[in-house]
Amino acid sequence: MTSSLPPLVAPWRIGVDVGGTFTDMVLRDAAGAVRIYKAPSVPADPSEGVLGVLRLAAQQLDLPLSRLLRDCALFVHGSTVATNTILEKKGAKVGMLTTEGFRDSLEIRRGFRDNQWDHRAPFPPVLAPRYLRLPVRGRIGANGKELAPLIAADVDAAARVFANEGVESVAICLFNSFLDGAHERAAGAQLSKSWGGPWISLSSEVMPTMGEYERGSTAVVNAYIAPKVTSYLGALDEQLRQFGLPRSLLLLQSNGGAVSVAQVAARPVMLILSGPAAGVGALKGCTAPGEAANLISMEIGGTSCDVMVMAEGDVPVADQLTIDGYHLTTPSVEIHTVGAGGGAIAWVDDAGLLHVGPQGAGARPGPAAYGLGGEQPTVTDAQLVLGRLRPGPLAGGAVTLDGALARQAVETKLAQPLGLSVEDAAAGVIRLLEQNLLHAVERLSIERGHNPATFTLVAAGGAGPMHGSAVARALGCSRTLLPRAAGAFCALGMLQSDVRQDYLQVFVADLDRLDRTALDAGFAQLEARARDALSRDGFGAADSAIERELDLRYDGQQWPVRVALNGAGFDAAAARQAFEEEHQRLFGHIQPGGRIDITALRVVGRGRLDWTPPATRSPQSAAPTPREKRKVWIDPVYGWREVPIYDGADLRPGCTLDGPLLIEERTTTAFVGPRDRLEVDARDDFLVHIGANP
Amino acid sequence: MSTAPDPVTLDPVTLALVQNRLDHISHQMGWVMTRTARSPIFSQSHDFSCFIADARGTLISQADGIPIHTGGGGFAVRAILRDFKSAIRPEDVFLLNDPYTAGGNHLPDWVIARPVFAAGALVAFACNRAHQADIGGGAAGTYNSAATEIFHEGIRLPVLKLIEGGKTRDDLWRLLLINTRLPEALDGDLRAMIGSTRIGAERLALLVEELGADRADAFFEGVLAHADRRFRTCIDRLAEGVWRAEESVDNDCFEPIDGRIAVTLTVKDRRLIVDFAGTSPQIRGFKNSSIANSTSAVFMALASFFEPDLPKNEGAFRSVEIRLPEGTLVNARAPAPMTMNTVFVAHEIVHVMWKALGQALPERASAGWSKAVHAVTAGLRADGERYVMYQWAGAPAGGGVEGRDGFHLIGHLITLGGLTLPNLETYEHLYPVRFRRQELRCDSAGPGRFRGGAGCDYEVEIFTPADYAFRGEGVGAPSSFGAAGGRAGSGGEVVLTLADGKRIQAPKYGVERHGPGTYRALSPGGGGYGDPKTRDPARVLRDVRDEVVSPAGAERDYAVAVTADGREIDRARTAALRAQPA
Repeated sequence: MTSSLPPLVAPWRIGVDVGGTFTDMVLRDAAGAVRIYKAPSVPADPSEGVLGVLRLAAQQLDLPLSRLLRDCALFVHGSTVATNTILEKKGAKVGMLTTEGFRDSLEIRRGFRDNQWDHRAPFPPVLAPRYLRLPVRGRIGANGKELAPLIAADVDAAARVFANEGVESVAICLFNSFLDGAHERAAGAQLSKSWGGPWISLSSEVMPTMGEYERGSTAVVNAYIAPKVTSYLGALDEQLRQFGLPRSLLLLQSNGGAVSVAQVAARPVMLILSGPAAGVGALKGCTAPGEAANLISMEIGGTSCDVMVMAEGDVPVADQLTIDGYHLTTPSVEIHTVGAGGGAIAWVDDAGLLHVGPQGAGARPGPAAYGLGGEQPTVTDAQLVLGRLRPGPLAGGAVTLDGALARQAVETKLAQPLGLSVEDAAAGVIRLLEQNLLHAVERLSIERGHNPATFTLVAAGGAGPMHGSAVARALGCSRTLLPRAAGAFCALGMLQSDVRQDYLQVFVADLDRLDRTALDAGFAQLEARARDALSRDGFGAADSAIERELDLRYDGQQWPVRVALNGAGFDAAAARQAFEEEHQRLFGHIQPGGRIDITALRVVGRGRLDWTPPATRSPQSAAPTPREKRKVWIDPVYGWREVPIYDGADLRPGCTLDGPLLIEERTTTAFVGPRDRLEVDARDDFLVHIGANP
Repeated sequence: MSTAPDPVTLDPVTLALVQNRLDHISHQMGWVMTRTARSPIFSQSHDFSCFIADARGTLISQADGIPIHTGGGGFAVRAILRDFKSAIRPEDVFLLNDPYTAGGNHLPDWVIARPVFAAGALVAFACNRAHQADIGGGAAGTYNSAATEIFHEGIRLPVLKLIEGGKTRDDLWRLLLINTRLPEALDGDLRAMIGSTRIGAERLALLVEELGADRADAFFEGVLAHADRRFRTCIDRLAEGVWRAEESVDNDCFEPIDGRIAVTLTVKDRRLIVDFAGTSPQIRGFKNSSIANSTSAVFMALASFFEPDLPKNEGAFRSVEIRLPEGTLVNARAPAPMTMNTVFVAHEIVHVMWKALGQALPERASAGWSKAVHAVTAGLRADGERYVMYQWAGAPAGGGVEGRDGFHLIGHLITLGGLTLPNLETYEHLYPVRFRRQELRCDSAGPGRFRGGAGCDYEVEIFTPADYAFRGEGVGAPSSFGAAGGRAGSGGEVVLTLADGKRIQAPKYGVERHGPGTYRALSPGGGGYGDPKTRDPARVLRDVRDEVVSPAGAERDYAVAVTADGREIDRARTAALRAQPA
């Protein structure tokens, strides 16, 4: 595995992604060689899992841990601690200050229902209860001017309640504060004096978007997770520094960019998608430098599949994110998630119809084949029955797959009730899963106005490369890319992510009749903040970039379209043209000459972390020999065939092979369909040409 | 239907794939519609539904869309089959809206239907039913509360061939556009509807081709038969018998009346008979219902009473027979007006269904949702532009069910909360208004073991003179109901206070012009589920702490006493209160 690699060359970079089952680590050295390690996650204390995988790597590299960390130039971490604090409801006791008359926005939730048919499902518990949401007098008007001064005595009264009730963290969201945060800042300062607690989140500082519900909800979630997340990350950073890490660790944010621990400490709510958002960096790694690639990724893990679209090299970032029913306006890459992973449970309903997912078996008990007490058949169990997965130890022995248990579960729970053979039932599970995957990709691409057939499908995650060929064929794609390190895709992506910070100012104006001075001043202020943040993380003019964007919409529309402005200048005609192009693509029509409103100014600050291009492995010299041949179920047309199984390490750049075949890699098993042709590309990944082998 | 094959002979895996594929196709049409429609009502409120019918006009998938459209689509397609029979050809597209002659539910909802052919034979229809921004009639925006005949409500469309063999009938298109106040919106939205059905038809044709034209119908039947089997397992949970319920209709949109919706639900031999005999005659105002709308409301009530994942197709309701007496509120004779029916009396129909079902299966009973009180105000902004503002942030509340309290101000029952309330900051930016309050009303929630949702105390200053279109079905007496021993929430009230201090009590319906003033709506509370005296005292304490329930209300309704500082349960007094006989 790693033994075939050349010696380690310092300095290196480390990416660590904490998943539900495994903590993945990717190390890329100065020569560009990539090494992957997996250790069990420790849900009770994720830092244990991080240290565990570091120790494992140190041991396998035969280095002391201190040396491994001392020569690490960049350590990027995707942490689930923010997300899990919410999922497990283990956050702080939160109080909230609101403008008098508006204390209930948080609990009214604008009436959002995820699934309106499921009206028996309660809302998730409100994170700041009504008796701790306290009103203060004072009012900012819709034009940003003060209508009534803030009453400090109301803040003091609230402070007494917070103290009495043992409140640990406070969110402040005052009406119209996205226009002027002065009242929030004054209330925060007063509260620090009269309450004294250290955790105060101001909505105008966390994310100053228009809309009291989402802005307040974002501030409350921030307040809820801040004490735990900030302390945890600070301690982990401290620990790693003591072990020798020379530079503070970076965390991956929901916007797909990294940020230092120090800078995210006040806004940990930016970390909710830390992990999946690394898909952006991972996709970037699938492209040539400067290439405006069209990629759709489906990252399939144990429980879910995350779909992401990169169009012309760009993954869209929006201000909307929902976590466990809580709404956030943090900048977040657009990811569509469906419950379709290797652990998705297959079941037969009370009227005899077969379903796959959305419930999963999780890490524990996991698929029946794990032998940990799971009795429900999962996708993994079906793969075993079909000969596509090999029974025995998985991921370095962390779990072992038992084919007999898999078969038994498929037989009793599916085959018998459906009146099918075990093999046909298992094949049905795979067909239904692949249909789910297809539908998920089609949904995101239709919603974003793309034709998926013109994209390359990237099938990643440990369970992804098994399905790339079939889903790409159904989408009409000509190629699917199965990354060699599919099972550590996000950890790898962390090494390829830039530092990124997003800034926004609500700015409402007619595009053709705006106050240029105000616009320039607004941008200048956002840019100053971006430059300051980047310089604090060590980025200067040479290795950073500042991008300007506008939110635009036709008069009367609700949702704006985000448009990039080229260069520092401002040209209304160019902005209109860019808006119309995007509007046409997204919605299929434009209103020629229609009035366009600006709704917000945005600035994206990027710090470029140049990444070493991957080391080129020596090309294939002789045709590889399969490790074995096995009877495997291919698809409904081809049925069962004797199929060659290759060891991934034997396949080098330039190698081409005709399917059907299976490739066993360290973190994944890849399947190449019977009409398809495998090419190991220059980056040493598996590129499958669909239908190239007629 | 006699040709229907035995479903067990179908490959179960293919059947599952076909079921998912049909639902995916109706979703795909919906995504295309959301993305391409012109009016915000589609992109933001999803006031449309996409559906698929088989060659006989049986609805085989309606995975996309708002609950009150569920189950009504088949009537439209059957009207097309009735009127055009063998004249239905490839590349035709049909349009209709009339509830009396064309299977429509109410006039604003237009249906675009595109037949799908395979091997020369009609195999399915891809359809989209969507609420248009304006269709003429007596009031802008489709809701004319002064209507006393359907002719006052907009243009009536029988089944029309809008596109014939791929060629759009331009004369007809121009006819449509001159009958709306918003021709651009109608033009754009119709194109989006047509585009969405094109995608749907292409995907359906592909599916049929893959299955084989001869086998496709057998699989469609298999999908319907599966839904039928699933719903019969739901019926098995109901107690056999005859269950009656009614709900008052206290106004005809002009003056008070003593009206009612009445239902008799018979549960027998794994079948349901839903008979509306005893329902009041049709009324003067625009709340009369059509066959398609009443059927949809019944289906919505049944589906929401049972499982959220019941297949949304007509197979699910094969075991249900609905009897709608002609000339009544639930099946009016032409030319009664009926634009309001998808909200009222659909709300009352769902309520009587829930009441009847709740007797047959009490642990599944749903308490009633309260009715809306919001007005619509229209006037001029400071820049002289005309605006129309819905005051719906003062929304009504949901009812309790076993295991959860009712939702606070959630919106109309007929969307089950599917419409999103606005942020007030956004509205303050758009309209000449300043908000004062949007908070939960103390003691408005219907008491219950799981209490109803609280109504809203909503107050807004309106700076310029405006037309107030009042639609206060929830004003006055309580409009929710309690279930299984729970009680109704409080009634609603709307008051306008003018600059000179004059107070105007809003009527239930009517349009009035007033100068600047302050509009205040107290929206009604949702009904409670279960005996309030069995509510967990810890939950009562939390409600008291939250000021959703007053200390006095806690003692009176829940038999729970709290300590003087309001922070704890007074255990001794609570025990004594709860020991008292009811």
